[in-house]
Amino acid sequence: MSTGFVTSRRRFLAGMATLATATARAAQPAVRPVVVMTSFQDELVSRFEAAFEKAYPQYRLQVLWRMPHDAAPYLRQPAQGGVDVYWAASPRTFAGLARDGAWRKLPVDRAGLPDRAGNTPLADADGFYTATEMAGFGFAVSPAALSARKLAAPKDWTDLADPQMLGQIALPIPARVGFAPPIVEIVLQAYGWEQGWALWSQIAANAVLVDRGATFVSDEVASGRCAVGVSIDFFVTSAIANGAALQFVYPGHTGVNPAHAAVTSSSPNPQGAKAFVEFLLSQDGQKILTHPDIRRLPVRPTAYEGLPAAYFNPFAAAANGGLQFDGEASRPRVGLSSAVFQQMLVQPHGEIRDLWQRVRAAQSSGKPVAAARKLLETPPLTEAQAADEGLRRQFVNRLEGNLGQQVSAAEAAWQETCAKQRNAARQLLDEVGA
Amino acid sequence: MKLFALCMVAAAMGLPGAVRADTRPAPAIDREALSHPMDGLTPDEMKRFQHGRSLVRQSWVVAPAGDGEVSGLGPLYNRLACISCHAKNGRGGAPGEPQQRMQSMLVRLSVPGQGPHGGPRPHPVYGDQLNEEGVPGVPGEGRAQIRWVGTKVRLAGGEVVELRRPSVAFTDLAYGPLGPVRFSLRVSPHIAGLGLLETVPEATLVDLANSAKPDGVRGAVNRVWDQQAQASVIGRFGLKANAPTLRQQIAGAFLGDMGITSDLFPTENCTPAQRACRDAVSGGHPELSTQGLDDVEFYLAHLLPPMRRDADQPAVRRGEALFAQSGCAVCHRPALQGGAHPRYARLAGQTVAAYTDLLLHDMGASLADGRTDFLANGRQWRTPPLWGLGLLTAINENTGYLHDGRARTPEEAILWHAGEALPARKRYAGLPKESRQALLAFLQSL
Repeated sequence: MSTGFVTSRRRFLAGMATLATATARAAQPAVRPVVVMTSFQDELVSRFEAAFEKAYPQYRLQVLWRMPHDAAPYLRQPAQGGVDVYWAASPRTFAGLARDGAWRKLPVDRAGLPDRAGNTPLADADGFYTATEMAGFGFAVSPAALSARKLAAPKDWTDLADPQMLGQIALPIPARVGFAPPIVEIVLQAYGWEQGWALWSQIAANAVLVDRGATFVSDEVASGRCAVGVSIDFFVTSAIANGAALQFVYPGHTGVNPAHAAVTSSSPNPQGAKAFVEFLLSQDGQKILTHPDIRRLPVRPTAYEGLPAAYFNPFAAAANGGLQFDGEASRPRVGLSSAVFQQMLVQPHGEIRDLWQRVRAAQSSGKPVAAARKLLETPPLTEAQAADEGLRRQFVNRLEGNLGQQVSAAEAAWQETCAKQRNAARQLLDEVGA
Repeated sequence: MKLFALCMVAAAMGLPGAVRADTRPAPAIDREALSHPMDGLTPDEMKRFQHGRSLVRQSWVVAPAGDGEVSGLGPLYNRLACISCHAKNGRGGAPGEPQQRMQSMLVRLSVPGQGPHGGPRPHPVYGDQLNEEGVPGVPGEGRAQIRWVGTKVRLAGGEVVELRRPSVAFTDLAYGPLGPVRFSLRVSPHIAGLGLLETVPEATLVDLANSAKPDGVRGAVNRVWDQQAQASVIGRFGLKANAPTLRQQIAGAFLGDMGITSDLFPTENCTPAQRACRDAVSGGHPELSTQGLDDVEFYLAHLLPPMRRDADQPAVRRGEALFAQSGCAVCHRPALQGGAHPRYARLAGQTVAAYTDLLLHDMGASLADGRTDFLANGRQWRTPPLWGLGLLTAINENTGYLHDGRARTPEEAILWHAGEALPARKRYAGLPKESRQALLAFLQSL
């Protein structure tokens, strides 16, 4: 059988010869950079980069990657470091920089975009920034691991306090893991200050802690090492879309965290910045969020059309009474509550777990341990004390991923209070032979 | 380790739920197939694996920055993260249109002559790789635009397959004209199973190179410079087998692609003519710590090699036989026997089913880049491992095959084979359609 190139060999070799020399093409219409600072993962950024540059070939994206705590200093440089757009999931950073005058009025039309999803605002009241996507909080569950342990899937936070969940919950450390600080506030807002901390104490006693920079909550659950993991949704829903045998449960009490975009007041390319934000909010841009490797929640309701029924729709959930968490209301306290969590439940985690095991065992045998239990459940400060503006200000810059903080005097005092409470609880348990 | 240990404590204490579960999904539908750890890593090893993974996934930050561990992008670079080119540890592709950027490929540059130790001689102004991006204040070097030129091949039975080859233009050159330059396009390969390639003994490769082969196939080892050993050794990584070790391949990519220095390559990738680059703030000395490089190496070395799927399907088995009968397996050897690993005992003594001989072969004028690289001449390429081939498009929808991504399908890649591989290509092209489909089904099973 004779086979070969349709084009003649001579023509083919002539074509190859032209390849041997690079051509320096003459000047073309200028492609202007749009400088975007972000903390999104590369899977998400690369897809937006390719799609934006295809839609707007006159612009080329230049991405500067910074965690939120590191973004604000950069944006406070002269001329804001040449950044055109800031795009990140850190509402506190946007609000804080808005107070500094970092943003210009948002130059985009928000037609077709709701102002809220449940109790979460999707547009800045002063018009400086807009939500571009959302992510919800809930539980990664492994049906196989739950079944093997004869456990039911948790439906709400109280289910995580069940003693049967001991050692089965992967819990991100709020002060260390970027997405986790709002989780503390979701429970406090839903159940109140006292009952909320009591619940957190019991959940923490059941939990194994996940720190930043190594394992993922979804790893721990997918591997079967834990049956449940507290997480932001996209890590888990993306893992599911890629083949992991997991489910994601949005609990009865939950909310969403919005990511935003804003155009800097010193933007060197305001037209390009406008084009980029418009693209983020467009139907095409919003659809990118639903890619299996991304799995964020679009802010444009029409982007949910055509998605599988299992794809969480926050607007539908809100219409059914869900998503009551008010992230904006929690914002002034979220740094403080994460710091309290650290001193009350993370730093002494081993002790907390052991003391709760003694309490639970004593309760099962009818021993009087209510007072000891109360000591373990009580935070080191009252809700009124936590409302102190001066105290809150100390923690306002404890932004997502901001590691290496020194323990402040307030934290040292909480640490001491919590230690005293644990010692008192231990003594009470000793006294009743628990 | 702490977390794992706690769960194991729970198990040891007889607490509820003390079970070992492996819920890994079937590889055929698993888009994370190239991201799993090898079985049996200890908690300490798993901690290293996960730290290495976090660095591979990390987008690097322009210095100075608060995140010291990940500071030091550039000053000149191509992409922000390893996974920018190796999404989910998979393979990249070429841009479809001239105005599209190279998201997962790069351009190697050199000028005639040899550099230190016999490697390519870098371009005096642009260095050995076109870095399209620069940190603020440092101009990116320029753009490489690809235009595709079509050609057609007729197969047995009359089917016509349209092929394409790249024509490259350099634009927006920030540091003056390139002048006479040798360049070579490189699409990022997938990065699973690399640790096992390091276990194939040097003697095995030399014997393979010296052994008699059918169809005029030859095969040669490359001998390259080992930066750590400060010696010339056999090359086995890279498209021209121009890197001696996985560690050097990683450190080279950190420097070349992201401008991240390491203990192996402690100097920023700025040429004397690039003043702004030389004056830019460094992210540390080195920017990737030795521990970080250790852990990235550990991570890549311990990624589970791609697992075969559907190997017992009749069409796949028939295709496997045709793969051998057509002469493909002479170079794409189904397995090599691994020996010891210099650092990781866990990898030693395994059968390495990578479908490669790790040798250089003349692939003909149509694939030649005209660029020498140590002992590799401008027509030679290392036989690329085929394991994982059938997973690639499920992981990255823009996957391109061959060194420059010109082939959009494995069939197109086969049809570009020439030189030592010409007889095998002719046999493939002469097969009846059903047989060709069986052979392609076999490739999809890898």
